[in-house]
Amino acid sequence: MSNYFNTLPLREKLNQLGVCDFMDSSEFLDGVNALKGKKLVIVGCGAQGLNQGLNLRDSGLNVAYTLRKEAIEGKRDSWKNATENNFTVGTYEELIPTADVVINLTPDKQHTAVVNAVMPLMKQGATLLYSHGFNIVEEGMQIRKDITVIMVAPKCPGSEVRAEYVRGFGVPTLIAVHPENDPEGKGLAQAKAYCVGTGGHRAGVLKSSFVAEVKSDLMGEQTILCGLLQTGSILSFDKMVEKGIDAGYASKLVQYGVEVITEALKHGGVSGMMDRLSNVAKVKAFEISEELKDIMRPLFQKHQDDIMSGEFSRTMMEDWAAGDKNLLAWRAATGETAFEKTPAGDVKIGEQEYFDNYTLMVAFVRAGVELAFETMVQAGIKPESAYYESLHETPLIANTIARKKLFEMNRVISDTAEYGCYLFDYACKPLLADFMTKVDTDLVGKNFNEGKDGSVDNRTLIAINEVLRSHEVEVVGARLRKAMTAMKSIKTA
Amino acid sequence: MSKPVVHITNLNLKYRNKPVLQDLNWTINANENWLVCGTSGSGKTSLAKAIARIGHSYSNIETSFNAQSSLPALAYYVANWFQFKDLEGQSNFYYQQRYNKQSTETTATVKAELESFGKKHALQFNEVDRVLAALGFSELKNSTLIQLSSGEHKKLQLVKALWLKPQLLILDLPYNGLDVLSRKNLNLLLEEISEAGSQLILISNETELPSCINRIATIEEGKLVEISADERSWNDIETFDKQVPTFLSEAVVNASSEEIIKMINVNISYGEKQVLKDINWEVKAGEKWVLHGHNGSGKSTLLSLICGDHPQAYANDFHLFGNKRGSGESIWEIKERIGLISPELHWYFDPSATVWQSIVSGFYDSSGLFCDPGYSKKAQTDELIHYFGLDEYKNTLMNELPLGKQRLALLARTIVKNPELLILDEPCQGLDQQQTLHFNKLVDELCKNGTTLIYVGHFESQIPGCIEKRILLENGEVNSVEILHKKPILT
Repeated sequence: MSNYFNTLPLREKLNQLGVCDFMDSSEFLDGVNALKGKKLVIVGCGAQGLNQGLNLRDSGLNVAYTLRKEAIEGKRDSWKNATENNFTVGTYEELIPTADVVINLTPDKQHTAVVNAVMPLMKQGATLLYSHGFNIVEEGMQIRKDITVIMVAPKCPGSEVRAEYVRGFGVPTLIAVHPENDPEGKGLAQAKAYCVGTGGHRAGVLKSSFVAEVKSDLMGEQTILCGLLQTGSILSFDKMVEKGIDAGYASKLVQYGVEVITEALKHGGVSGMMDRLSNVAKVKAFEISEELKDIMRPLFQKHQDDIMSGEFSRTMMEDWAAGDKNLLAWRAATGETAFEKTPAGDVKIGEQEYFDNYTLMVAFVRAGVELAFETMVQAGIKPESAYYESLHETPLIANTIARKKLFEMNRVISDTAEYGCYLFDYACKPLLADFMTKVDTDLVGKNFNEGKDGSVDNRTLIAINEVLRSHEVEVVGARLRKAMTAMKSIKTA
Repeated sequence: MSKPVVHITNLNLKYRNKPVLQDLNWTINANENWLVCGTSGSGKTSLAKAIARIGHSYSNIETSFNAQSSLPALAYYVANWFQFKDLEGQSNFYYQQRYNKQSTETTATVKAELESFGKKHALQFNEVDRVLAALGFSELKNSTLIQLSSGEHKKLQLVKALWLKPQLLILDLPYNGLDVLSRKNLNLLLEEISEAGSQLILISNETELPSCINRIATIEEGKLVEISADERSWNDIETFDKQVPTFLSEAVVNASSEEIIKMINVNISYGEKQVLKDINWEVKAGEKWVLHGHNGSGKSTLLSLICGDHPQAYANDFHLFGNKRGSGESIWEIKERIGLISPELHWYFDPSATVWQSIVSGFYDSSGLFCDPGYSKKAQTDELIHYFGLDEYKNTLMNELPLGKQRLALLARTIVKNPELLILDEPCQGLDQQQTLHFNKLVDELCKNGTTLIYVGHFESQIPGCIEKRILLENGEVNSVEILHKKPILT
């Protein structure tokens, strides 16, 4: 197998990178009809598998689970998840031959083995559904020509997929049809019906391609979503402790601050987030985020280049082959950081205090979101896709840090994201070493406005606001956020 | 004479910038146990929280405790509401969550919860078992918090308080969700701790109270007024003459079939534990049922099957509106025909929705509103808001309202689409007597139009007049099904 993207001529590369269409709600008026009466068999019953299956069944579809023989005989958690919720469970041999749609919800790493086992058993003209394009695009998996290959990727953890569905809503979802495998032209209709089945159609659906999904997803998770949030959190905590701020306070500010700050990002974009600062703090945050963008731009570009060329996936797959040697070592090291080991103190921090005392994180988030977005768009990814994989997902990842710090974030995200996150983090910290020596507690730990008279130059402020608001991520974001009819606030504890 | 336990002079309190308590004075002396009753929204909860110093400490409330007593020198407040978090510190639950099985448990067990409480207050563990047994809670020690029903959560709160035995115990609507026997046992336990030296402030509109209650008060126009036992509320029921909105008097459509619910040997179990056993039950269109059973008898599980909220519905021979469950229908098609209120629905309801959004969401059976409802739905909602007297709260967030008002909004949500089947699981929790009476009259009114009704209530006095049949559950089995002598509908 060779990297699918690299086999394409440039024209086709650009063509597939450019598939990007925010779908109108009228596209979903057919409901689940395209899958009604069909037999849906889900491979794997972890959090995504179980919760998507519960939703699909509650939408009137016929759902069963297939697991490896060992998982069934050993009555593993996946077997318990499925049987205790009264689903039919069977081996590949028992269930795959009767399936109209086989839904592969196993982790990336297992895809090649799973698909190789499942494909020979699939009936003529069946559909294979992925929730991530890595196996097709990066590993170059070839699927039998009679089989339709589609992707439906809810952009939230499995527990949220269920919680939002039973509340009568859903989570934003990305769909795609693999152009090499759509022999009957039914792929799109089935993907849309699947979205209705999981409730995703109520929260906004983006039509993408396998290629665009993989290349933007990898970029987003490695840089702004996980990588930079990890780097920024660790550096901020260490700086506060170094400067004598109470460690419990520092731990709490960092753990919950990123969630509170990105909640503003979710509702009002980068400018909405920056508007939560006082004018003086905004001017400062703007200046240092400009500086941060200059420092980190080459690193963002390197990540995007390695993703496009396949270099990233090649090295990561080497690590798979080596038994996740690097991944496990990096994971252990993250668990040992001072931030991770210091529990959040029993102090009350008000909502506005998270902005006033953590201006540095606001600057990190602005720099990271804009850089990731710009770098993706320069590489041929459409602004809408780039928006989803940068700004849109940042609050969701920040939410996981609020739960249980970086450990939780790295547990929830895929191994692929986790691997890329550490790669970025290790390269980024040395890059920022000089910058951090200039940072003091006014930017992180104490109220930036303290001892300042709050006055700013009119023209400077107007110019800054203009730059922030006219950035393309803001223009695209304003449109997409409006289309997602109900922006729901993530409930904080 | 010793110092009073609580001495309040000229207390003024605002709730969302509206004065609730105005120059309130109150002295609680040793050996006094007070009942505070009265209408919803009169300031009972605000007063209780102020005494317990929750959120804010007021200089005009003096408390003085007995230094010689072995009981904890504090005022402990048992809220009319409860909250719990999962192991990750989140409380983002949904009401159906307890029915879904997931291999990884996300909330603490009752046992772990009690252990952490006991540790915090340095309590003896051998003392809690007796309280657990008295409230019928012992078997639940290994359950996780998310699995508990409404009544069971209430009991857990009470278990903690009774175990702690503070010098001053303030209980806000402690009988909510408890069955008859548990209410009796609670009263015995309260008498016992009062005997041992705890003093009580009980906020309730119930009539069966612990015998140690020796003072009674209400709050009127922001002031505490002591009354005698004979003066308690019944005499001031206002006449209520608002017209039921016309859209609610239209006959409901029973297009599908005469048979609304049909269960044939329905079984539900979690692992080894069987929750429902061989349930056979038929409900025909237009019938009015009451569902009875003690806490933990399986009532909520039975109702969750009917509302499309239980995954094990798919493994049973169970028909809804004439169709077998699992024959290609979606839960939204089922929910569309049902109006549901339950304590769980209220607890897990989106607290950041406005009253108006909450009521409109009844058309879509969602928690929170996700689309534009259009003219006629808006108009119906406005009519109901007026009918329930909620006009001034229309744009208020749910979590900014007292419990009784929240409940009224959710009751309006339940009936806003004039559903074929009404499922009212303890609908009047948190309402005062007058509101309960009015709501029951409305239910009677609705039922004249052919609505099918399933009603759950632990209080005999709160059951509407139109009920004609009763099903009694005991330990997950149908104990009896009977036809009741129809009470005349009050007009």
